[in-house]
Amino acid sequence: MNPLLLEVIVVVLGIVLLMLEAFVSKSDKTFLAWIGIGGLFAVLVASFFTVPVPADAPYAAFYTTDALAMFFKRFSLLATILVLVMGIDYAPTVEKFVPGASKGAGVGEFLSLPVLTCAGLMWMVSAVDFIAIFVSLELVTISFYVLVAYMRRSATCLEAGTKYLILGALSTGFIVFGITWIFGVTGQTNLAAIATVLPQLPASASAALLFGLGLVLISLGFKIAVFPFQFWVPDVYQGAPTPITAFLSVGSKAAGFVVLVRVLTPFLQDETIGAKVAGVLAVITGATLLFGNLAALPQKNFKRLMSYSSIAHAGYLLMAVTSIGVAVAEPAISFYLAAYLAMTFLAFLVMALVASAVGGDDLSNFNGLARRSPWLAGAMLVAMLSLAGIPFTVGFLGKLYIFEVALSAQHYWLVGIGALTVACGFYYYLQIVRAMYWMPAAENAAAVPVSMTSRITMAALAIAIFVFGIYPQPILSMLG
Amino acid sequence: MIAPWILLFAPLFVAAFILLVGQRSKLLSAGPAILGALICCAISWWLFGQPETTDPIRIDWIDFSKVFGPDSPIRFTVSIGLELDSLAKSMLVIVCTIAPLVFIYSVGYMAHEEGYGRYFAGLSLFLFSMLGIVLADNFVMMFIFWELVGVSSYILIGHYYSKDSAAEACKQAFTVNRIGDFGFMLGILVFWMATGTIVFGELPDAIGALQSSPFWLATACVLVFCGTIGKSAQMPLHVWLPNSMEGPTPVSSLLHAATMVAAGVYLLARMFPVLVLSPAALEIIGWVGGITCFAAGLMGLQQNDIKRILAYSTISQLGYMVVGIAVAPVYGVAMFHLFTHAFFKCLLFLCSGSVIVGMHHEQDIWKMGGLAKKMPITFLTMCAGGLALMGFPFFSGYFSKDLIIEFAFEKGGVPAWLALGGVILTACYTTRLLWVVFFGAPRSDEAKKAHESPLVMTGPLILLALPAVLAGWPFIQQRFFTIEHPHHVAGWVPWAILALLFIGIIGTILIYRGAPKKDPVVIPFFANRLYIDDGYRYLVRWVQDGTAQVSGFIDRWLIDGVCVNFGSRLVWAVGFVFRFLQVGNLQAYAFFFGAGVIILLYFLIS
Repeated sequence: MNPLLLEVIVVVLGIVLLMLEAFVSKSDKTFLAWIGIGGLFAVLVASFFTVPVPADAPYAAFYTTDALAMFFKRFSLLATILVLVMGIDYAPTVEKFVPGASKGAGVGEFLSLPVLTCAGLMWMVSAVDFIAIFVSLELVTISFYVLVAYMRRSATCLEAGTKYLILGALSTGFIVFGITWIFGVTGQTNLAAIATVLPQLPASASAALLFGLGLVLISLGFKIAVFPFQFWVPDVYQGAPTPITAFLSVGSKAAGFVVLVRVLTPFLQDETIGAKVAGVLAVITGATLLFGNLAALPQKNFKRLMSYSSIAHAGYLLMAVTSIGVAVAEPAISFYLAAYLAMTFLAFLVMALVASAVGGDDLSNFNGLARRSPWLAGAMLVAMLSLAGIPFTVGFLGKLYIFEVALSAQHYWLVGIGALTVACGFYYYLQIVRAMYWMPAAENAAAVPVSMTSRITMAALAIAIFVFGIYPQPILSMLG
Repeated sequence: MIAPWILLFAPLFVAAFILLVGQRSKLLSAGPAILGALICCAISWWLFGQPETTDPIRIDWIDFSKVFGPDSPIRFTVSIGLELDSLAKSMLVIVCTIAPLVFIYSVGYMAHEEGYGRYFAGLSLFLFSMLGIVLADNFVMMFIFWELVGVSSYILIGHYYSKDSAAEACKQAFTVNRIGDFGFMLGILVFWMATGTIVFGELPDAIGALQSSPFWLATACVLVFCGTIGKSAQMPLHVWLPNSMEGPTPVSSLLHAATMVAAGVYLLARMFPVLVLSPAALEIIGWVGGITCFAAGLMGLQQNDIKRILAYSTISQLGYMVVGIAVAPVYGVAMFHLFTHAFFKCLLFLCSGSVIVGMHHEQDIWKMGGLAKKMPITFLTMCAGGLALMGFPFFSGYFSKDLIIEFAFEKGGVPAWLALGGVILTACYTTRLLWVVFFGAPRSDEAKKAHESPLVMTGPLILLALPAVLAGWPFIQQRFFTIEHPHHVAGWVPWAILALLFIGIIGTILIYRGAPKKDPVVIPFFANRLYIDDGYRYLVRWVQDGTAQVSGFIDRWLIDGVCVNFGSRLVWAVGFVFRFLQVGNLQAYAFFFGAGVIILLYFLIS
């Protein structure tokens, strides 16, 4: 089976869902999510039965299906499935904030658009040509503009949408500008072709090349939220609907990192400019690590805390990206992102349930959760331990690989900062554990209702965190 | 090969099952535990019959080279491997043969006790950990399982945790073992740093660098030996073993006599190809073993608790095994004594358990007496065990212990004389125990009303009595260990051993014949265990409490006050400033974005 079919099926699935939403007169729209989950799951299974694209295929110059691409296609599918699972429980909140003539109006699109985003993500991780990268990136970004601002009666949601739209548009401008500069210098948009051209370029061209690369880096830095392009993150994460926040922090970030790795690899491996790019990246990494972790310390709101944590994790990932020129870093990045998917979604799943039951997503809303809903608190505990990086969780192994890569690339001071900031992480992640287990609950607090779907999903994620934290070989062999 | 993995993990599975499901009923806790132990027993004997293979049984738990490629500088690999050489096989047979008998015996012994499920889960967990030690093919795995037997020992000693003395004893056992294990860990680290490998099989080939420096080789070996000192209760860390008798008697039998405490000797046998390269280390090991063997015998002479006498005898016998490692050219000599000792000491403990149950949980031997007629099976089996322990001719201990003493004299030195002196001490305390308990007149009402134990307890006794008598005979020994007898040993040594043995037996009987309700011989120095325990008590009170106060002061005022609080406030302040950057104003964000662009491009292009 041709892997291109996977994206085609996902796009068709998205259109079918929109059609169903328009023409089926059913007030309960969650069946769309179920069709979406089923369809995406089928595609996920089908992805294991594809044959790689032949090198002489007409589209091979801008579409690849190497191990990295296939891994992240499955990653995107899984992330979207989880978003839809969250969306089912979140539908009532969406309905409350979307004006509609009939009951359930407006919920349907909320449950179908992520499928189209998923198609964009899947293309993005396969793109090896600047044009393909740009187009797929925009497909993802534009669908996110809609999703972030989806609840249009909620002021914070609208504000988040506006901020994301304006700053996103700004960053889009930079990437287009950057691509033109790189094309102007090298005469190529294909990354493999650029890699072959780079060594032949005269030394005088390097300033123009670096200018172009810098602009691309700015735009991608915005996508993956690294310092100093991360200012949008806390506001947008807090304002967006929770499933979309999770999607943004996992799907969009992961695809952004894949593109970053693909774009940077030829430049980092170049002898003349590689060291310089790595140096600037290392400074960004250090600043991101420090900013993300330190700013997370005083946070009192769970979604803001998670947004800073997402910046911090981007810092750790960037640590491996910085090492690309000297060490094999891709598997470490992929593993870290896979771990990040499991623990972030688990945290957001619990949070969404608690927030909708208690009516707020501040840390104080988690007070005494362990006594009210011990299983939910347990799931959150697992997520937090893994995010902090306790041994026997995937989070720990992910950090171990990253540090191992950075050490082998001799980025000692980055590892030093990383070790210090991990200690910061313990403080703010365990703050939630403290709230859940040691703080007294509010008087009228009741147990949080949890649907069977969420139960199964959370159990699966928590088990995965431990199983792959103890025996990571299945994931590693998928990468190798 | 799947069989060794089943062997290893069956008890763990059983332990989990009992804790999760089985605790509700006695049948569901004892049944699976016994079944698991029997499975282990069957597999271990089957493996023993298998021919030796050289295929490594190993899975790569974490393997970076598969991911990062074989050329990558990242060579981090963690593999789980099992070693199935003849040493491991014979040890497996010992552990897995005794374990089911003790498990079955426990059904009778624990019949009216609390925490039935917890007890059997603990025993199964112990079996899993012990098998892990036996099968481990590298230091790290062995260390992990080493600590796990420590945990299960802690749980089982503290089975009656509501009793203060039991709680104290399990705490002491755990703490004292930590001291030895710390040395063990340091030793592992030295070996790892010097040779780059932690796999036992690769050590002798990789030892070159370390061998060129005898001092460091000896240091590493002695550090590893610290693990043995802790686990096998050698001097000066022997104090925990007698106190561990607070646990149920089957536990004392399986863990604190037959198998777990022998793990230290097993470790030395595993390390043997390395140990022989360091004569200095062997010298130290021989001295520690010799002193332990003699001093523990002295302490055992004056104990009044039936289990404590046996505990000191265990320490003394472990001392013999350690001497055996130090003096013999093959590890088989020590392992042979471990083999016979496991059977007869396990038997002795189970017999003492039978006596204790018959006496309604009375353990003082001066309240017993004349039990021979009331508990005939226990009496006969315990005599068999006792004679084997003394090394009475043609009982199992006779073959193995004499071999060690002969090798010791072949090598010469003080440890040989200490080992020889141990013979008469062993004869004395064992005869004293048997005589006072089983002969003479009953010394209390319980002794008058004592009765024989049920078949579920006496059955294992009879089954164990057979190997306790026979295990040392050459036709069995040759199946398990290849040993050549020493050639250059003086002709008087075997006769001296026999003479000392009979002097000990006859002398003790003469002293204790018709003994009243109190010990006619009182030697406070021995009864108070050479005042070593008291010494430790003072040491802990003055040194540790003093250190704790000083470090508590430093921690509270210097570290907490200055370093921690100041540091945390500083970090908080920085975080707070960062938070203010987050003004929420879109124009400001765009401005920061632009500033970032300019700075980044400046650094990239300049």
